[in-house]
Amino acid sequence: MNQFALQQGHSRELDMFSHIVEFTLAKNSTIQLESFPVTTSENFRIYYVIDGKFEWIINQKHYVLYPGDLAVILPGVELGGSHRYLDIGTFIKLEFRVAQLDGSNGINLGEWSNLTESERVTVGRILLINNMSVLKTKEAGDVLYEMRSEVLNQEIGYLTRVNVLLDTLLIIIARQSTRQANSRRDFPGTFAMLEQALRKNLAHQWTVEEMAAHVGLGTTAFTEKVKTYTGFSPLNYLINIRISESIKLLKKADINVTQIALETGFYSSQHFSTTFKKLTGYTPGDFRKRNTPIKSS
Amino acid sequence: MDNKECIITVELGTNGVRVMAFTLNGEVIASMKGSYPTFHTEPDYSEQDPEQIFITMLYVLKNLLTERVHPKHYHVVSMCFSASMHSVLSIDRNGEPLGNVITWADNRGKKEALDLKNSPFGKKIYDATGTPIHPMSPLIKIAWMSRNDNERFGNTYKFLSIKSYILQQLTGEYVQDYSLASATGLLNIHNRSWEPEALSFAGIKADALPDVIPVFASPGKLRKEYQKSLGLPENLRILIGSSDGCLATLGGGVWEEGKATITIEDSGAMRTVGKVVIRDEKQRFFNYLLTENYYISGGPTNNGGVVFEWFTKQFGDFKGPFDIDYAMENFMREAATVSAGSEGLIFLPYLLGERAPIWNANARGSYFGINIKHEKQHFVRATIEGILYEVYSIGKILEEHRRIDTLTVNGSFASTPLFAQMISDIFNKPVNTGTNPDSIARGAYLLSAIDLGVFKNLDDAARSIDLPLSFRPHLHNHVAYQKYFPIFDRLSMKLYDEFEAIATLQHEQYINVT
Repeated sequence: MNQFALQQGHSRELDMFSHIVEFTLAKNSTIQLESFPVTTSENFRIYYVIDGKFEWIINQKHYVLYPGDLAVILPGVELGGSHRYLDIGTFIKLEFRVAQLDGSNGINLGEWSNLTESERVTVGRILLINNMSVLKTKEAGDVLYEMRSEVLNQEIGYLTRVNVLLDTLLIIIARQSTRQANSRRDFPGTFAMLEQALRKNLAHQWTVEEMAAHVGLGTTAFTEKVKTYTGFSPLNYLINIRISESIKLLKKADINVTQIALETGFYSSQHFSTTFKKLTGYTPGDFRKRNTPIKSS
Repeated sequence: MDNKECIITVELGTNGVRVMAFTLNGEVIASMKGSYPTFHTEPDYSEQDPEQIFITMLYVLKNLLTERVHPKHYHVVSMCFSASMHSVLSIDRNGEPLGNVITWADNRGKKEALDLKNSPFGKKIYDATGTPIHPMSPLIKIAWMSRNDNERFGNTYKFLSIKSYILQQLTGEYVQDYSLASATGLLNIHNRSWEPEALSFAGIKADALPDVIPVFASPGKLRKEYQKSLGLPENLRILIGSSDGCLATLGGGVWEEGKATITIEDSGAMRTVGKVVIRDEKQRFFNYLLTENYYISGGPTNNGGVVFEWFTKQFGDFKGPFDIDYAMENFMREAATVSAGSEGLIFLPYLLGERAPIWNANARGSYFGINIKHEKQHFVRATIEGILYEVYSIGKILEEHRRIDTLTVNGSFASTPLFAQMISDIFNKPVNTGTNPDSIARGAYLLSAIDLGVFKNLDDAARSIDLPLSFRPHLHNHVAYQKYFPIFDRLSMKLYDEFEAIATLQHEQYINVT
């Protein structure tokens, strides 16, 4: 494949894609010392190896990349050659801006993306949680080749297609990273990781779609698995955790009921109250009263 | 139709809660389960969230009542509880839990257990309490807390079991049944009072423990709010019930001399019932109380179905993501194609260390005798045989103390037909498989039914269990197993030093399994 090098601000091909900073296919045939020191970038960087063997430091870990490997460098993550130079070989590099990097909520892709709001949030969150630096996926390579021809040929519809392909690429990365992060053999283990994520961010309005994506399943298969494994639907299981956490908070006198409701992920204190009473027979207030004074024996 | 009365059983298990409804005659009306997670925040730690257990129990109970019991106009007259053994929950003066429940699988007290076992008190406390000196027991857990977690220990008003906590939530009283209490390592099983030397090793006084009552006693009435929200009558009789191990034995119908039960789920145990305790010089067996004159004696294993599941996860063919059942069924078919003894391949199943009979937390797994002709299916079969040899090694020593003519198997692993037949062959004894899929709930139902006068006593109740004879031993298989088992047995003992050496190395790399 022919080399190409597109840079935002220099290459007119990228004028219509302001979020894409660089899109190149590079053939490196000589070793130049200090050609690839460790740096960070605020942008999202993706490298797909076509041939050769690259020894890189990503996020302070050493990786050897072979053809078919995809390096995914999240914003703010360090990348460079293990020996501070670029090894001999060929790769595609795609660098693009993300709208923001939000600590707990993951990566916000930006307006160009055609993903739905919740898909965007979920993909961003999964990328951040899994934080997989190197994925084995030829599928990603095919998407990058297709993106290249769309950008260079500018045939009718290319404005839409380039962004769609970028979305596709991110979906592939999110799915593949989930598959590589858990074995897809050990449901209890995988479910335990999901549970941990839920508890860490209980205030978030989790959807079944989001939870399923964490486990790397579609919503139907996920719901069925959870039902068999826990006896509850995913959302009812989540309510279990929410009520259990709220009980702990209710037993501490220094936090008010509305605050507890929001911290444990209920829309409102009313929603909390109804759910709590339905399950326990007590309103949160009554429950608190019952539990505060010591019972004499 | 006022005559439709029913009994509810609540089983607080290791992974979840199961609630069942029975007619007074013991027909199952409904069964529902809900699971809760176990947290391993540090190596050796194994904890659960008491509030999550409570809420899950309440949720499942409510669903069962509103969906399956009330619509059929059943009138709930009795409710009986069972729980896994050895759990410890600290609560403060206000009844608020101090941290999570520590489960039976928690091994943080390894050092305390070893200290006690090697001290002159160890044997004495074991003889008095019937509970092997092991990190699983509340005695050791509380001792650990007194030495390593001063803040929690100091603020603890009472050390409860998870069942005591749940019952306190429902009724307001802090109580414990003799049966669960006898698995704490703190109760003298001969005079049924707290054992002073055990209390002193744990560093507590008797008033830090809940009041102990018989398994047929009631912790009190259900709180008004729960009566209302669950639609249960005020005069509902609540029975405190017993432990999973004791109830599985009763519910399995194993209630007379000459019988033993083998329960294998993730972990397993082999148990017998008797009116006298087993006095084992090497402290290998537990003796738990059900009621004053009945002792459940036997030995537990860590490495049951969990080991076969591990093997399947690593080496099975998965059709779809997480579809382990399919992979397991394939393995069972493959295992059946290999003859007994796996053509000389022997597997030591000690992936999680082991309890009875070797009581060695450092033990590890091993395949022995591999030759060039062994194929995958030999490994599959050897893995299963290894799990069952381990149970056999408990049974062989148990037979030195108790006559065993027939076996009853229960639990999802042991009651699988292929495995039940293998148990029959290895032991050379006929095997019954109970018709009740859930012998723990059945045992709890029997307690309620006796309490209501449906049965005269425990013997009468246990006789009601239908035990079809399902498997007879094949002598030629038994002969084959008899050739290999002695090697299994010797390896388990012989490798003591090597187990310790490898466990030490693994521990240094933070691969902590037990």
